[in-house]
Amino acid sequence: MIPFEQFRQELTRRHFLSAGSHVLGTAALASLAGKSLAGPAAAANAGAKRQMTHFAPKAKQIIYLHMVGGPSQLDTYDYKPVMDQWFDKDLPDSVRMGQRLTTMTSGQARFPIAPSKYKFERCGQSGMWVSELLPWMRRMVDDIAFVRTMYTEAINHEPAITLMQTGAQITGRPCLGAWASYGLGALNDNLPTFVVMVAKSTNTEQVQAISARLWSSGFLSGEHAGVTFRTAGDPILYINDPPGVPRDVRRVSLDGVNALNQLNYQQFGDPQTRTRIQQYELAYRMQASVPELTDLGSESEATYKLYGEEARKPGTFANTALLARRMVERGVRFVQIYHNNWDTHTNVSGRLPDQCRDVDQACYGLIQDLKQRGMLDETIVIWGGEFGRTIYSQGGLSHQNYGRDHHPRCFTMWMAGGGFKGGSIYGETCDFSYNIVKDPVHVRDFHATVLHQLGFDHERLTFRSQGLDFRLTGVLPTRVVSEILA
Amino acid sequence: MFGLASSYAEEAKLKYNHDIRPILLENCFACHGPDSASRKADLRLDKRQAAMDSGAITPGDPDGSGAIERILTDNPDEVMPPPMTKKKLTDTQKAILKRWIKEGAEYEPHWSLIPPVKPTPPAVKNAGWVRNPIDNFVLAKLEANGLQPAPEADRRTLARRVSLDLTGLPPTPELVAEFLNDTAPDAYERLVDRLLASPKWGEHRGRYWLDAARYADTHGIHFDNYREIWSYRDWVIKAFNQNMRYDEFTIENLAGDLLPNATLDQRLGSGFNRCNITTNEGGVIAEEYNVLYTRDRTETMARVWMGTTANCSVCHDHKFDPLTMHEFYSLAAFFNNTTQAAMDGNIKDTPPIVSVPLEADAKRWEEVAKEIPSAKALVDERRKTARPEFDAWLKKAKPEDVAAGVPTQDLVLFAPLDDGEKTFRYEVRGKQESKPLPATVEWRPGRLSKNAAYLNQGELLSVNDVGDYDANQPFSYAAWVKLPANDSSGAILSRMDDRREYRGWDLWVEGRRIGAHLVDRWPQNAIKVLTREQLPADQWVHVAIVYDGGSKAAGVKVFVNGQPQQTNVVADSLAGTLKANVPFKIGQRNTTAPISGATVQDVRLYGRRLAESEVALLAKLSLSAIVAAPPEKRSEAEVNSVYDWWLTSVDACYQDRLKKQESLVREQADIQARSTTGYVMQESKDSPVAYVLNRGEYDQRREKVTPDTPKSWPAFPADYPRNRLGFAKWLMLPNQPLTARVTVNRFWSEVFGTGLVKTAGDFGISGELPVNQELLDWLAIEFRDSGWDVKKFFKLMVTSAAYRQSSAITPEKLEKDSENRLLSRGPRFRMDAEMVRDYALAASGLLSNKIGGPSVKPYQPPGVWEAVAMIGSNTRDYKQDAGEALYRRSMYTFWKRAAPPASMEVFNAPTRETCTMVRERTNTPLQALVTLNDPQFIEAARHLAERAIEANAETDQRIEFIASRLLARPLRPEETAIVRNTLQKFEQHYGSVADDAAKLLAVGESKSDANIPPKQLAAWTMVANELMNMDEVVNK
Repeated sequence: MIPFEQFRQELTRRHFLSAGSHVLGTAALASLAGKSLAGPAAAANAGAKRQMTHFAPKAKQIIYLHMVGGPSQLDTYDYKPVMDQWFDKDLPDSVRMGQRLTTMTSGQARFPIAPSKYKFERCGQSGMWVSELLPWMRRMVDDIAFVRTMYTEAINHEPAITLMQTGAQITGRPCLGAWASYGLGALNDNLPTFVVMVAKSTNTEQVQAISARLWSSGFLSGEHAGVTFRTAGDPILYINDPPGVPRDVRRVSLDGVNALNQLNYQQFGDPQTRTRIQQYELAYRMQASVPELTDLGSESEATYKLYGEEARKPGTFANTALLARRMVERGVRFVQIYHNNWDTHTNVSGRLPDQCRDVDQACYGLIQDLKQRGMLDETIVIWGGEFGRTIYSQGGLSHQNYGRDHHPRCFTMWMAGGGFKGGSIYGETCDFSYNIVKDPVHVRDFHATVLHQLGFDHERLTFRSQGLDFRLTGVLPTRVVSEILA
Repeated sequence: MFGLASSYAEEAKLKYNHDIRPILLENCFACHGPDSASRKADLRLDKRQAAMDSGAITPGDPDGSGAIERILTDNPDEVMPPPMTKKKLTDTQKAILKRWIKEGAEYEPHWSLIPPVKPTPPAVKNAGWVRNPIDNFVLAKLEANGLQPAPEADRRTLARRVSLDLTGLPPTPELVAEFLNDTAPDAYERLVDRLLASPKWGEHRGRYWLDAARYADTHGIHFDNYREIWSYRDWVIKAFNQNMRYDEFTIENLAGDLLPNATLDQRLGSGFNRCNITTNEGGVIAEEYNVLYTRDRTETMARVWMGTTANCSVCHDHKFDPLTMHEFYSLAAFFNNTTQAAMDGNIKDTPPIVSVPLEADAKRWEEVAKEIPSAKALVDERRKTARPEFDAWLKKAKPEDVAAGVPTQDLVLFAPLDDGEKTFRYEVRGKQESKPLPATVEWRPGRLSKNAAYLNQGELLSVNDVGDYDANQPFSYAAWVKLPANDSSGAILSRMDDRREYRGWDLWVEGRRIGAHLVDRWPQNAIKVLTREQLPADQWVHVAIVYDGGSKAAGVKVFVNGQPQQTNVVADSLAGTLKANVPFKIGQRNTTAPISGATVQDVRLYGRRLAESEVALLAKLSLSAIVAAPPEKRSEAEVNSVYDWWLTSVDACYQDRLKKQESLVREQADIQARSTTGYVMQESKDSPVAYVLNRGEYDQRREKVTPDTPKSWPAFPADYPRNRLGFAKWLMLPNQPLTARVTVNRFWSEVFGTGLVKTAGDFGISGELPVNQELLDWLAIEFRDSGWDVKKFFKLMVTSAAYRQSSAITPEKLEKDSENRLLSRGPRFRMDAEMVRDYALAASGLLSNKIGGPSVKPYQPPGVWEAVAMIGSNTRDYKQDAGEALYRRSMYTFWKRAAPPASMEVFNAPTRETCTMVRERTNTPLQALVTLNDPQFIEAARHLAERAIEANAETDQRIEFIASRLLARPLRPEETAIVRNTLQKFEQHYGSVADDAAKLLAVGESKSDANIPPKQLAAWTMVANELMNMDEVVNK
């Protein structure tokens, strides 16, 4: 039996070399032949970089903006004017239908309705209702595909965010970015294929946990794991030479290491030694590419006008959004940004404006920027959290302020670019934004749709582990939401 | 790859396991296999009888077998596998299946479920090469594949290899020299014995085990707070160093707590089952996590001892292996009977735990534990005998005698909360005030009086000029509370600015534990304590916090019903102020953390430290009413509560005895405060059960199951207890097909890089077949029959001729044995993360020799933890250690699960969230960046350079010095030439740019040798850095 992975790589290589298959990018093409001479290990590396897509892809890169904590759909995108008459009235049992609650509110004696205090307005050609908290979004709804009927089964952060990122509530599966890396490979060998950035929120009242497991490669090879791009210190861990070691000195030492390793290779003939020589060269080139990438000095004033002044400050969401554009420009396949503090159990009015201000203009800037540069067509931008919030108030309720608990049964996400249909509004929730009335979209449907745009049939993008062909979308019925695709 | 083609060519009878099952597995079993839920056409091909009954297989008659017909047909609607599965049989596979049916279609149980029988070592042509039976098996395979073994490696290479395999560290030049000069025939064996006797052996073996045990220093989920469990790591190291028999090791890991009269050490072994990840996320449903924990324990055990991917059976019958859902949950029942709560409490010592005292305290610790019960007996005795005196006293007692004690001095705020009106009264420094009752608050039955305030959504009262204390001011606060039966969090009282890093203080409820925060800046600069025990739900309790103004957690006492409570200290780093510019509040913090569903009464804030007896009085506030009542109206319980008060407040004898008991308890507490924690398992009193869960969902219980082992494994002996102890013993039964095989395979992979079964955690049908089953079986039985002697087993491996081969590769071997699975050469592979770092430290002379103890925090770039951790997590700020802690072996590096040690993660170190049986071994550019740039490696290079310069005058000697420590060999002339060449260039640079030399030498905490000219040391540091990055250095 040929081990499956080896078989796959062989197959991939063969398909790759044959005509007619859809292979993305060209950067790694030239290096492939050279690498395969280095022996089986290096060939495996090169093989892992390439995959054949199942059909012509609409998009080749992704920027995924995850709002950690779960933004309130009720105060942003899911307009429920009827609720104004329900202020402080109890949520009818007929709506709740025994739905399980977190133990943070399951002990509450009442579930009083908290209508959104924010004003909504119909915007653009599409007529999407957008709250006053998102003035920049109001200008670009026609670039966006909104899904108001996302749902999940998880009601707490850890399982919910894990499901959103990896397709399963329990830890250990590869995340969407890792699947993209596995499926599509690298566009630029001198930068990581899958980058993760954790933006700082201005307000930090209720920051939630995130962890490296969210960008892990699971059972996929470790090279598909997300590489954290840090917003302070070295952008990539250990990317900078030590103090007192300028580039030419590093070059001398690398030449020395490589010459010694070359001798070692002659002695032992281990193909891994050849691979190491190449990895050291790649590391050296990466050291040059990363500072160029993170140096915002070349950005014009117009850029900051677009993204907002906050984009100048390292670590802000706007700053990471701008970096994301630069990464995509340079061939990073998948950029994952986390923005925290959306977990508004209490004090919606004290916090949500800060949250929205952090991201609103930056999202606008990012999408317009990509559009102006002709990159939006092939780049998917995704915005959303791990679940929504409840219509009823957690803790004290007044006309001025209220809290909202986790709500898995419906929430809003949006996508732009990469073949998503701008100006689409998909799905309807009930008057309480509690249940879905029409066109539900499960997390796995969302995953399948994104993979589809990348050129993959989600049922066929699989990896054999423990004897099973695993896929991001799991085994339950899943559909591509073609209604929001152009 | 090795099996199919050869046996087909030999024309020997086809074997099911070898030739047939792989084809059926790949193409047929998904729909016609063990999983009843996904079975199509009610046909199964994994059982002979079933396949015959359905007519799919007629032994001896391929043409009369339905399966063959369906395989061979051209009709797309009929052909198997169906085109939609995208699976297709090759012509060769079709021919094999036909021939097998013709030969009688004999099935076999899966190989790994047939208990091993010790094979006779096969005869080999080149018998002179053989050193022990391992070599017969290896050589027979090589000869069958037309390969010759490699020549023996030279002694230097061998010394380095075996030192790395047995201790995880490179050999010292002295050890290498001794071995080189030892002309005795058993020189190598004696080297091996020396290494096996080193305490580094236990560290190195233990390090592998910690991957399997998913050991880490944080809880893993959500807050990912510190977990003080390193005593388990110490236990593992000690067990390997004592060469504990593997059967005992197994039993203590899985059930040390259940052994009769279990010693502290044996109980610590059971920490294995406490290493799983846990949560304390607000809002989670306990049962959901209890199910996950049990599942993790079961899956981990199954991988480590049974080589089985039991997790597949969580949601459905295993697709390939004989493990049904029913069997999985029966197995899980063994591990489903712990007293451990679903919520870890965000504390470092989540029960069940034991205290592990310091060496010096160990004796007194045992004594005190015995003295306390006798002291308590005296107290109890007085309680019995003093009753007549009390009765006499009570006859004459007046209400004032009791009430006089209720403290009023420095009573800053008093809110009785018993009004039952639309307004409520409270006193600020004795002055009466009142406010309208907020709409969210209702009156419910009280403890001291008819009414009490039921808080549902936070704020009841806000007062500006109350409670504004600083950290050096003592104060106390108390209330009667009744909490609902949920795990929610919230503040009952507070003066806390939760929008400015939580400055201030509160009375805090979390998971029905009560405690307090005293915060300057959360969490870096704060105290937090919580009671160990949960408060009862829906019952009135009196709670009080007394703070002594000392800025230490030890000075924050929590009282429940007047009794001081044992607390867990979650944070103890207050060094600042508590003064917060927000009001004092009842019901929540300033803007957040409303208490929900709690009833509250008699809220008091004192501007001083209350004495214990005063708190006790507050808790008995209703006493005067009882005394005032006529005797016949007093209930027995009421009289008893007055008696309690009388004993502690009036009776001198009782007070004296109580004081003695308390001083012993305090001594015990002090020893405990100095001790560390041991996480242990503890069986609950119930009989173990579990439920089959539909699709693995915690809330979809199906039938109830009791502990049992799967049918395809040996029977569970009737005289074994049906608990973890019986289970562990069952695992070690001599007729177990897997335990010994899985274990020797794991040991084999540690030394040879890959197991004989590559999928070390999966010996099931979907796992890899062993490349050399005879060898595996021989090793398994040899290990078992040796008395599970781990050191002996490693000696056997490393003294084999197979192990001692040179690792040089020829083109022929690269072609025929590319991954060295046949062992046509010596093992050579990139070392694990810990070894790469330890190697640099050891070679440079920086490595600390200390064994065991708490985890350490060596160099790590700033921000790695902060980027992912929650605000409030006590593992958010990485505070780098100083001195020796920077140079400990990597197995002691603090392992935060949400952000594992940064430099090690790059080298495939796992997150330790789940059991890892095989680490990945990728090579990436990011690894080069670590060994080139990490301060740990730069500092080590500088140290090595210093020592080379200090010890030698000549350039070549210095190069030699460095090489002997990094490679255990002198450089070849062409290598020396390369090094001299780069040295010269480095010297040029640092000779001309003095500033760069100074900067480079400043890397790392240790100071560089001032006697060496900086330009020289800098150049040599770069030379050492260059050599440290050689492929040969990072490879074993």
